Amino acid sequence: MAETATSWDPRGAWAGIAQPGSFGAKGEAGVFAIMLEGFGLASVIAEPDTTAALSQTVEALLGLTLPPTPRIARGPAHDIVWAGPDQWLLRTASRNGFTGLLSELSAHAAVSEQSDARAALRLSGPRARDVLAKGVMLDLHPTAFAIGDVALTNVAYVGAHLWRLDDAADGPVFEILLPRSMAGSFWSWFVASAREFGCRVASGRG
Amino acid sequence: MRINCPHCGARDAQEFTYLGAADPQRPDGLAATEAAMTDYVYMRDNPAGPHRELWYHGAGCHSWLIVTRDTRTHAIALVEPAKTRKAGAAA
Repeated sequence: MAETATSWDPRGAWAGIAQPGSFGAKGEAGVFAIMLEGFGLASVIAEPDTTAALSQTVEALLGLTLPPTPRIARGPAHDIVWAGPDQWLLRTASRNGFTGLLSELSAHAAVSEQSDARAALRLSGPRARDVLAKGVMLDLHPTAFAIGDVALTNVAYVGAHLWRLDDAADGPVFEILLPRSMAGSFWSWFVASAREFGCRVASGRG
Repeated sequence: MRINCPHCGARDAQEFTYLGAADPQRPDGLAATEAAMTDYVYMRDNPAGPHRELWYHGAGCHSWLIVTRDTRTHAIALVEPAKTRKAGAAA
């Protein structure tokens, strides 16, 4: 059998779909999109009667409280995002030591590594809310969707996990997680929706 | 129509999938008579008025919900998680 040249280099979720640069209206960009790479992600699902023990463990290890409602709890290196009743996503900026942390949590919950399963995007800029309004069926007005609020919903028929971070100087900041296999579909919706505002795309650590 | 998910808040009906009446209970496996299974599988009340029904929040929190909806007006009186009923008692 002939040798086949094979590349086993890691590929980001946006590779071959989106690249850094600009698209849409000329001039100052209304929307900034950062393709987040390198983060660690895991789903953490508790039984109703193990939630208390899980909560104590998370508090001891990370100093974070499991949000019982659709909210995000942010720490210096870890975030915990509500993902349904008795379900959360644990996110870390770096994957160092992540496996050890997950095995400690697995005493109290069903834990599943999802680091490469999602494509993540951070959206900001003065028109970020206007772009999302074209595909998100929720009211994202600041009075209805506050900083730290989380939603599981659909964007352009793609299941999406969405939350709002602290505002930046130029407007609101949202992060959105999508199934990695749907990143291309989402991106085609996003390009069509953000074009009129002008968009600058960059890569970043998440 | 919007359904007020107890976990996610008010969401459009297209985020949910409808299953059917919430109250029929499956008879006990092989012990059930043919008549009891026929009744469970096929016979429904089709009320004009309040109806307890199962909805699945597939685009949101993935919870099964019991929605009490008026079939004439679509007015929703109550939405509750289905699992609390299951944990409660043999209804």
